Amino acid sequence: MPAPTDVNIPAPSTLAMPSPGLPPFDYLCPDDPDEVVALLLQHGRSARLLMGGTDLFVQMRDGALAPRVVIDVKRLPGMRELSFDPADGLHVGAAVNMNALAAAPAVQQFYPLLAQAVASVASYQLRTRATMGGNLCNGSPAADTAPAALVLDAQCVVWGPDGERTIPANNFFLGVRKTALQPGEFLTRMEFPVPPTGYAGRYIKLGRNAGGDLAIVGVAVLGYPETSAASGYRFRFALASVAPTPIRVPEAEALLAEQPITSGLLSQAALAAEDAATPINDLRGSARYRKAMVRNLTRRALDDVWNQLQAEG
Amino acid sequence: MTTHHITFTINGAQEEALVTSHITLLAFLRERLGLTGTKNGCATGECGACTVLLDGEPVNACLVLAAEIDGADVITIEGLAHDGELEPLQQAFIDHTGTQCGFCTPGILISARALLNRNPDPTEDDIKDALRGNLCRCTGYQRIINAVQDAAKAGG
Amino acid sequence: MSTTTTNPTRPVGDSVKRIDALEKVTGEALFADDLQFGPGLLFGRIVRSPHPHALIKHIDTSRALAMPGVKAVVTGADTPKQIGLYLKDRHIFCRERTRYVGDPVAGVVATSEEIAEAACKLVEVEYEVLEPVLDPLRGMAPDAPLIHPDLGNYEVPNFIFPKAGTNISNHFKIRKGDPDAAWALCDAIVEDEFRVPHVQHVPIEPHVAVAKMDQRGEITLWTSSQSPFAQRNLIAEALGLSQSSVRVIAPFVGGGFGCKAGVTMEALAVVMAQKVPGYAVKLRLTREEEFFTTFVRQGLIARTKIGATADGKIQAMQTEYFWDAGAYTEYGVNITRASGYSSTGPYEIPNVRADSYCVYTNHPVGGAFRGFGMPEIHWGIEQIVDMLAEAIGMDKAEFRLKNCIRTGSIIATGSTMHPVGLVECIKQATAAIHWGTEERASAPHKRRGKGLAIMWKAPAMPPNAGSSASVRFNEDATVTVSVGGQEIGQGAFTVAAQMAAAALGVPYEWVRVEGPIDTQYNPYEWQTVASRLTWSMGNAVMAAAKDARRQVLDLAAEHWGEDVDHLDIKDGMVISYRSEEAMPLKKMVVYGLPKPAGQGWRGGPIIGHGSFMPSYVTGLDPETGQGPRSVVHYTTGCQAVDLEVDTITGQVTILRIAAAFDVGKAINPDQVRAQIEGGAVQGASTALFEGFQLKNGKLANHSFVDYRIATSVDVPFEIIPIIIEVPQDDGPWGARGIGEHSMVPTAPAIANAVADAIGVRVLELPITAEKLYLALEAQADGMPV
Repeated sequence: MPAPTDVNIPAPSTLAMPSPGLPPFDYLCPDDPDEVVALLLQHGRSARLLMGGTDLFVQMRDGALAPRVVIDVKRLPGMRELSFDPADGLHVGAAVNMNALAAAPAVQQFYPLLAQAVASVASYQLRTRATMGGNLCNGSPAADTAPAALVLDAQCVVWGPDGERTIPANNFFLGVRKTALQPGEFLTRMEFPVPPTGYAGRYIKLGRNAGGDLAIVGVAVLGYPETSAASGYRFRFALASVAPTPIRVPEAEALLAEQPITSGLLSQAALAAEDAATPINDLRGSARYRKAMVRNLTRRALDDVWNQLQAEG
Repeated sequence: MTTHHITFTINGAQEEALVTSHITLLAFLRERLGLTGTKNGCATGECGACTVLLDGEPVNACLVLAAEIDGADVITIEGLAHDGELEPLQQAFIDHTGTQCGFCTPGILISARALLNRNPDPTEDDIKDALRGNLCRCTGYQRIINAVQDAAKAGG
Repeated sequence: MSTTTTNPTRPVGDSVKRIDALEKVTGEALFADDLQFGPGLLFGRIVRSPHPHALIKHIDTSRALAMPGVKAVVTGADTPKQIGLYLKDRHIFCRERTRYVGDPVAGVVATSEEIAEAACKLVEVEYEVLEPVLDPLRGMAPDAPLIHPDLGNYEVPNFIFPKAGTNISNHFKIRKGDPDAAWALCDAIVEDEFRVPHVQHVPIEPHVAVAKMDQRGEITLWTSSQSPFAQRNLIAEALGLSQSSVRVIAPFVGGGFGCKAGVTMEALAVVMAQKVPGYAVKLRLTREEEFFTTFVRQGLIARTKIGATADGKIQAMQTEYFWDAGAYTEYGVNITRASGYSSTGPYEIPNVRADSYCVYTNHPVGGAFRGFGMPEIHWGIEQIVDMLAEAIGMDKAEFRLKNCIRTGSIIATGSTMHPVGLVECIKQATAAIHWGTEERASAPHKRRGKGLAIMWKAPAMPPNAGSSASVRFNEDATVTVSVGGQEIGQGAFTVAAQMAAAALGVPYEWVRVEGPIDTQYNPYEWQTVASRLTWSMGNAVMAAAKDARRQVLDLAAEHWGEDVDHLDIKDGMVISYRSEEAMPLKKMVVYGLPKPAGQGWRGGPIIGHGSFMPSYVTGLDPETGQGPRSVVHYTTGCQAVDLEVDTITGQVTILRIAAAFDVGKAINPDQVRAQIEGGAVQGASTALFEGFQLKNGKLANHSFVDYRIATSVDVPFEIIPIIIEVPQDDGPWGARGIGEHSMVPTAPAIANAVADAIGVRVLELPITAEKLYLALEAQADGMPV
């Protein structure tokens, strides 16, 4: 029998609840990127960018965000363009919606891992509006497209007061809801290099139910033949929802590059992923369960990728 | 708070309106245009009761600003039947008892319409996946899935 | 009352299409929030208590009132009288005390929802925070803070027993036989504690109410409601008005499941409207408010002991239920009673002791949820019966067949069981999943298991809950049926039309059922709850249709000069079996028929009336719970589940649910199957995903983001609905209710199948993947699970 909880926690004098509608704001739809930069610099934290709005509006209703100015950037040049070049790879405008991204023939053919990650997000109608750019910029540890961006070595191209600069996805996430974007900067596109020849990838997401839940744990694994590696292969691992940011797992990657691959080594890599995870207890699951799931699902994804590589080879 | 002059088509008719920046497409449809077939179930894009077609693709109208539909084409549940003729999908929902309380039904029909537009011959798994953003608390979903399959066979 | 055998059955028994389907697939069906009130409509929003338990020291509404656009602010000072369905234990707005997080403290009326919301933040409330009660066991303790110090003075009906000076709002007892002596005879005894968290109904339509008071002080309330008449009655009493001065208009309900029964937030809108005569005031809840400020399913701690002899016969059962009823008990006190008298489950057990306590806590207000306590108590009953079968070493289906109630069994209250088809339900449901056959899991890391659970449930209501109906003809002989029962998705209007058509002898397509339900025009119905409409309202519709039919036949008999016994109505024609005369109903049912040779007319507009009220339910002895007829009837059934558990994640995949229920007579077999399927999925959703996470009385998962319900990709691969028909003696065409029953056994059936698959017994809902995985891990480490 658990002891009754009768501790008095000081509570606020009002009950903070989401409002029925959105709070008032100015909606601006500039057509020049520099105007966006100027607005961001002018309004600072009281300006928010709008692409799909699927996260922004929910947070505004909750009262977590109360911008005076909402800047719609999805109509800026290039923001909704997607292109693929066999030499350059895939360029995805930050405001390309997730359904368009997943349906693009180049994504289906060359980056199926990305399509898998996108398909795990919420629902089809939400993904008509949601964008991968927004998903990354929210800085949520649970962002489903982040592990894919990490293992595909994506580059985040941003526009800001000093023009364009590129931030590797691996350096993009700084903390919960914190990214490497500087004041006045905004994400304009993601660039995915041509993936390694003969690669295989898998994203596994665990939710409380199958219907598009936020991830309890998200695991991306990518592997490819690589003669320079002692094992003949290189792998990349990324995890969502088990640390303050989406993370890579260099320990597991090193392990599988350095020694001949055996079932035991795959298990060790899964353990290394578990060790790298520093999850919290929250409404979705306990830290203990999450760590175990990182291990088990990394192993499951790894087995799958390994089998694909064997079949290819 | 800015106001915006928007021009759009709604269920085939050209319209224009002046809207404040923070009114959602859902509130605009229900409270300004009187199109109450689109329902408000959660205001967070989770339940799908407010699903409408925006330029042919389904969206949660609760997470779209009315100001954003300038130049767009919007179809709501009221736009599915034409000249008193039901869509095969609507008829299939009647025939398969795909509706009980009926509150989720408009949103589900719009999601199903969008699915058949992009995939005229969906598998059962395709249908389930396309409808996973539409919560129904009454039917248990199977009759809805059967109705969509049947409508697809009837040519959508 | 005997079943009708002289009338043709059709369309009763036919799977006709829903009468409301066309409106619902076109978006034309109107729900309460769809009604248009023009630009003068005002909006209300509510100031709610942030504390689970506090005294209100002072409220200052002046800043809110001064805000432009604000029309009025209401507080507890405006609501002196108390309200409650059984026990009148709450004020519409709190007065001295708040009792749960979300308790309404003040209401703001303004020209827009946005202004009302903003003004709520300007209402200043000073609280003195009190120690909350956050657990029913703590609430039972002698030194627990009293949540209702005046409990002893509250108005209460004679079958509810509050204990003054405690937090116990009802204590129901069963004392039958001698369990203490019986334990010694038992070869196996099992004892355990089972827990059920609070869950929410999650109608996709949140609560909404629009109220208006005219200059005479008469109230109109438009609302999404299962209980227009009960709301009229309770609100009128609480405001000191005549029932005829309160009019409730209730259009289609976008999902009820019990949460739109009784009075929840509707009274708030009415009190706010009283401050602004002539204006309609709309109050609609956000999804977040919906989760914890309307009724929720109560939490339960169940302690049960059960024993059997080696021959597999259950000898004794002893149960204590501690209901976490929350701050007030609109329905909780009667759920406590119903769970007490049904505490044995559908088993014949000679020695029974049950104590069911309804305990006030500082949690959300407990109410009725599809099954009215039965899903909660069957969670423990059907697991402990499984455990006992194991202990005795009997097959679990065979064990249930040996002990379950049959026609003529003596049940826990000492009453005799009416004709019942539970044995057939068990046989057919288990056969449908190949019970007793081991089947392979779909992958090496998965484990497959099968389980079953049986159930019973009676309509839990006052013994004299009544129904009424009228049936009237239009000129072309189409028929308008008027009832006070509500269409909440369960198909009530469809079966009402089928019954009227069958009793009258007209085609189904000729019948309309009036909506919205309007207490000013529609005949009385107690409430649309308890799976009682098909049965109770059905009896009223049948009586009304027979009344109209008799009037038609009397008229035709006089016209033809024939004996009425030789006449019939078939397909909308009056016919005589003797003279072979025939005439259409058209025109004659309104204009009457001419007498010969221009001597005038006979007949006139035909309208039939019917009422039904059970008159045979007896009281129960307050000390023993014994009485000749405790309830009107029990519906029984069985679900058998075949599932897999993924040992890598703990996730459950339900492969098949076979569900068999004895509905007496399926008025519309397709609609019955739809109820069975929908209930199984709602049951599976509560079993696997749902539960309140309450922290110091505050609900942490108050949105769809963190309160997950089953989606289209979470449903069982296959649901096999099975209809058993052992007729009910007092039901129309033999029918009894089925709406709620379909989700009652689902959770324990799944738990039993999980136990079969992996040897893990989950005693507290929900059966999450995390719980199963961690239990498997402990099992692998050799730890007890």
